[in-house]
Amino acid sequence: MAPQDHEDRIIKAQGLGRRFGRHEALAGIDLQVGRGEIFGILGPDGAGKTTLMQLLAAILDPTAGQCRVLGFDTLRESSQVTDRIGYMSQGFTLYDRLSVEENLAFSARIRGVSDADYRQRRQRLLQMAGLQDAVNREARVLSGGMRKKLSLCTNLIHEPELLLLDELSLGVDPVSRQELWKMLRTFRDSGMTIVLTTPYMDEAQACDRLAFLYRGRLLAVDSPAALKDRARGRVYEVVTARLEEVQEILAASPEVISGQWLADRYRFQIDNAQGISGSLRMKLEYLGAPSPAMPDLENAFVQLTAQPADRLATTVSLRSAATPAAPATAIAATDISVRFGDFSAVNQVSFRIAAGEVVGWLGPNGAGKTTLIRVLCGLQRPSAGEARIAGLPLASSSTQIKARIGYMSQRFSLYPDLSVIENLRFFAGMYGLSGQHRRDAIRWVKPLVGIDGLDGNRTQALSGALRQRLALACAIMHRPSVLFLDEPTSGVDPLARRRFWQLIQRLARSGMAILVTTHYLEEACYCHRLGLMHNSRLVALGTLAELRSALQPSDPGASVEAVFMAYITRPSAAAGVVG
Amino acid sequence: MNARRIRAVIGKETREILRDPITLGVALLMPLVMLFLFGYAISLDLRRASLGVLDEDHSPASRALIEHFSANESFHLSRSLGSVREIEQVLQRGQVDLVLVVPAGLNDSLLRREQPQVQVVVDGTYSTTALLAAGYAEALVASFGTKPSRATLRLETRVWYNPSLRSVNYIVPGLYAVILLAFPPLLTALGVVREKETGTIQCIFASPLTSSEFIFGKLVPYSLIALLQMLIVVSFGYFWFGVPFQGSFLFLLAAGLVYVLCTVGIGLLVSTLTRTQLTAMLLALIVTLMPSFLFSGLLFPIFTMPALLQLYAAIFPGVYFVEISRGIVLKGTGIDMVWFQVAVLALYTLAVFILASRRLKKKVA
Amino acid sequence: MRLSSLLIKELIQFFRDRVMLLLILWLYTVEVVICAYALGLDLRHLPLAVLDHDRSAHSRLLVDALTSGEAFSLTGYPQDMRQAERWLQDGRTRAVLVIPRDFAEVLIRDETPTLQLLLDGSDANTAATARNYILRGLSSLQAGAGPQPSPAIRPVIRIWYNPDLTYTRFMVLSMIALAALMVGVIHPAATIVREKELGTLEQLQVTPVRISELFVAKTVPTLVMGTLSVFPSLLIVRWFDVPLRGSLTLFVLLTALFLLSAIAIGVLVAAVCRTLQQALLLAFFGLFPMMFLSGTLAPIASMPAILQQLSLLSPLRYYMDVILGIFLKGNGIADLWPQALALAGIGTLLFAIAAAVFRHQQP
Repeated sequence: MAPQDHEDRIIKAQGLGRRFGRHEALAGIDLQVGRGEIFGILGPDGAGKTTLMQLLAAILDPTAGQCRVLGFDTLRESSQVTDRIGYMSQGFTLYDRLSVEENLAFSARIRGVSDADYRQRRQRLLQMAGLQDAVNREARVLSGGMRKKLSLCTNLIHEPELLLLDELSLGVDPVSRQELWKMLRTFRDSGMTIVLTTPYMDEAQACDRLAFLYRGRLLAVDSPAALKDRARGRVYEVVTARLEEVQEILAASPEVISGQWLADRYRFQIDNAQGISGSLRMKLEYLGAPSPAMPDLENAFVQLTAQPADRLATTVSLRSAATPAAPATAIAATDISVRFGDFSAVNQVSFRIAAGEVVGWLGPNGAGKTTLIRVLCGLQRPSAGEARIAGLPLASSSTQIKARIGYMSQRFSLYPDLSVIENLRFFAGMYGLSGQHRRDAIRWVKPLVGIDGLDGNRTQALSGALRQRLALACAIMHRPSVLFLDEPTSGVDPLARRRFWQLIQRLARSGMAILVTTHYLEEACYCHRLGLMHNSRLVALGTLAELRSALQPSDPGASVEAVFMAYITRPSAAAGVVG
Repeated sequence: MNARRIRAVIGKETREILRDPITLGVALLMPLVMLFLFGYAISLDLRRASLGVLDEDHSPASRALIEHFSANESFHLSRSLGSVREIEQVLQRGQVDLVLVVPAGLNDSLLRREQPQVQVVVDGTYSTTALLAAGYAEALVASFGTKPSRATLRLETRVWYNPSLRSVNYIVPGLYAVILLAFPPLLTALGVVREKETGTIQCIFASPLTSSEFIFGKLVPYSLIALLQMLIVVSFGYFWFGVPFQGSFLFLLAAGLVYVLCTVGIGLLVSTLTRTQLTAMLLALIVTLMPSFLFSGLLFPIFTMPALLQLYAAIFPGVYFVEISRGIVLKGTGIDMVWFQVAVLALYTLAVFILASRRLKKKVA
Repeated sequence: MRLSSLLIKELIQFFRDRVMLLLILWLYTVEVVICAYALGLDLRHLPLAVLDHDRSAHSRLLVDALTSGEAFSLTGYPQDMRQAERWLQDGRTRAVLVIPRDFAEVLIRDETPTLQLLLDGSDANTAATARNYILRGLSSLQAGAGPQPSPAIRPVIRIWYNPDLTYTRFMVLSMIALAALMVGVIHPAATIVREKELGTLEQLQVTPVRISELFVAKTVPTLVMGTLSVFPSLLIVRWFDVPLRGSLTLFVLLTALFLLSAIAIGVLVAAVCRTLQQALLLAFFGLFPMMFLSGTLAPIASMPAILQQLSLLSPLRYYMDVILGIFLKGNGIADLWPQALALAGIGTLLFAIAAAVFRHQQP
């Protein structure tokens, strides 16, 4: 797919760099993108992905090197560039008070699309995006997925030669994500070039070529298959129930550069292409034989970026930190319903979660996941039904319950103007911890989540990954019996996400029940059981294997995504609960 | 400049404003609230100031003098005092604004044609009230039973433009300038900074729309709102408060248009200097709202300020339009009289726009 | 423990917000000084033109006498009536004194000459003042020149508490009161709504924290800071020679009581708003009439009855009585208890409403 001749080089960057004051955000970027490619840029938070996109869109001037986009210099001929591209920035870029139709028309008019073209393209785009029935709705009432699709439409209406998409599917549910990609492929096939950034490995997989960006520099540019090949022979997995012990062994082995604690197995990566050392193999043997596994893009990424900070966290003993005797059933919900006027947000949902269990809650945007969690946290009163949290009835003892639960929202609700230690002290105080208890709790939680040595740092200056860990620390300092995580990993890069899940597993081992909602289907592998919500109902609950086997026809090898889509698109989506 | 693109921005902006009830409500209601408060509350006519009376004479003359006071609607007899000590008491507690002390023997000395004295004790804490009360009381006493006497000089006063010296007549035209400086910049600044905060401006940057088209597109709807505000205030001033209109309405409208462009331009300039709505609001407050009230000549004449602060006042466009609008409304002034102020406004507007479009580059940093 | 954590957090945040601190300091100091210097109702340097048809020694004497003080500044001598009119029209002058051709002659004949004063009524206030100044000037001229005209009774006006009736004292004190009101309303409103926007308010709702603790925590820092920032302005008060006749302790206590009612307004605004923009606009919408109906901008005694009654709802009105009373009159609590009672009543009522609104929004 590499560009063949000069004509087809849509993007050509040489030594491109950008600094903000004394901070060098990007340096020495050499990049060429050819016509008709879907080109992905992958990298952790703060790697410079957005800066690079803005340089390509000619809305930011480079401080070093030069870049030609569609044959025009982005510095001197920036208006030629902006006339010809589509650029979708991170976050939402719609006008909330305008309707779908109005947003689209505005976008067309400022780009000089003729009325005839507009009418014809509008029809096609709305149909592709599945927005035909929503043309007159205001953008602010759309779900996250619909908003993204509309954003994409507003950037396709002038059929640009080059489409730049920053964090295309941030906060988008899997169903919408599939539709977004279908649209991208259609336009790619008609000759459009697409450059996108993404934190999703499976999305990166679908790109024609990928660039790994790390700390402002390009580590590698290649096809996904070639990149994965670089980690071949370095990835192993151990299937066992005693994962905690595996973790301890691996953490003590210097050759292991990364580990992934999944629900039923441990996947790890070594820095040696010759294979696993004999001594490590021996140590692991009695827990389960390590077998070679297919590397994925994350492994390739780890391979390229591995350094001490990314190694496994040192084990902190959780035994001393066990939560107060948790009742065996942590959450018992019976027929919970929430109605807002005529609209039913949660419809007769019943389930139980045991202590020490990690349960993933999946579902499209607007399925009712967040509302359900708000009910269980006491933030929303249910219209019907009842629940017991940590053995206490929700209806009558909400204050006692609040002392026994932890809650972390997708917004990482912290005080940005307070320092790390001030946030910790404050939230400890909110749970009534004082004096020695508070000092002990903070001393316990800091190494656990890995925020040692950051005490004086202002929270607003932390990266997304660190804010995420700090938010988790604030939610668990009082050793809750039940922990609610509402999309805790959105907007966080893959390495940080992996590390975060490791933490979650350890907390669960100590007896904490954990209910987590997520849009990253690959994260389902970390959960003991999965709940699937759709149209306000719980349509399935069980282990991944159980969900697979309940499908007609049953498919033991089906990916999480396939299982998910199968349940969602099943005509009788309201069918009974498995498991 | 591409008319179609500008039209698109105007249409989008108009819809957004029309669908935001709070912004629209504040934009249209606030000028009216201000007009009514200013129109009714600011006046230099004293109404029912509470008066205490200490009558030590108890004579026909003293009763007549007291009657002379209480018959006047400026005062309202709220208390009769028994002793001198009580004066201190009622003034301390703020129960009366002033006390009229009629000394014993007033009647007698009047009969003896001795020109006796009466004392008026005024609470000086609220300076404005005190000043008015003292003046009114002085005049009332002086006019009591006066025989016309020969003066060495006679003054014949002719008040032009506002012969009745009604406060409303000069407050309302001045208010046009204040309201148009207080709100349009704030609304405009918030309108642009909101796009910065939500990120929609990045899409504008990465499109063929030029900065001047963007600014022009923002300018039109906010100027229309400002003009609407002006029409509301002018018509309420004319029909409700009965403020006379001497000059040409079209000229006021034309000058108003220049002024509105100027103030909206200031709002755009503020928006290019700030990143968040809070700072935009604060900056707008400092550069438009405060000066529009205090340094526009609406309430406090500029000529009486120290020289340095007169210069400070001249920085803001409000002073010029106060002159223009009072001139047109009350004096029937034409362009020949206020060409200087109009020219300053026009230049001001031009400068603001050049600065704003220079500042707004289609770049994120 | 929960309460002390909340308080510590609020105080840290308060001192960390440089823009906010700067704004508060600005309001309490710079704004007070600017306004005290610039604004006043005692007019000076009123532009006066003289159309002197006489051009005699007598007429020059008259003009010199009138313009020697601070009251008028002479803008010039127009040539004829047409030019004088023009000057009035284009605003170059506010008043024109017309001296008749036979001024000196008539005076010498010991008759009464008639002077004419043309006033620009478009600024009614200035016009009225100008006439008073001229009349006063003329009467003092007459006092030197001839026998006294005789009103039946001579009024003796005595102004208490502010004998030379300077506007500065009033202005300084009312600007301090205004600053306290703005800080008191805007700060709690902004910080509470910011917590709503950040989602931390929701985070607090899943902790065992009680709404009453939240209220106290949001109130105390503004209260403490608002009360403390009174002290720098005391220096300014000194600078402008405003006496402090009453008790400082009482002043501080009543200031705190006033701040409480202002904070209650801020909390109420925060309760009904979702975004910062809404809160700021709404706070502004509420602040304006409150300021207006307090006697700071315009004398209450000049307002129509309905507005005078409405002004009883504005806490600022009571606080103006307090601040002026303590500084200028030396009032004690024996005089000010009705105001204190009113402030406490308004504050309690508003807090109760705000608490009800918050409870209503809770699950």
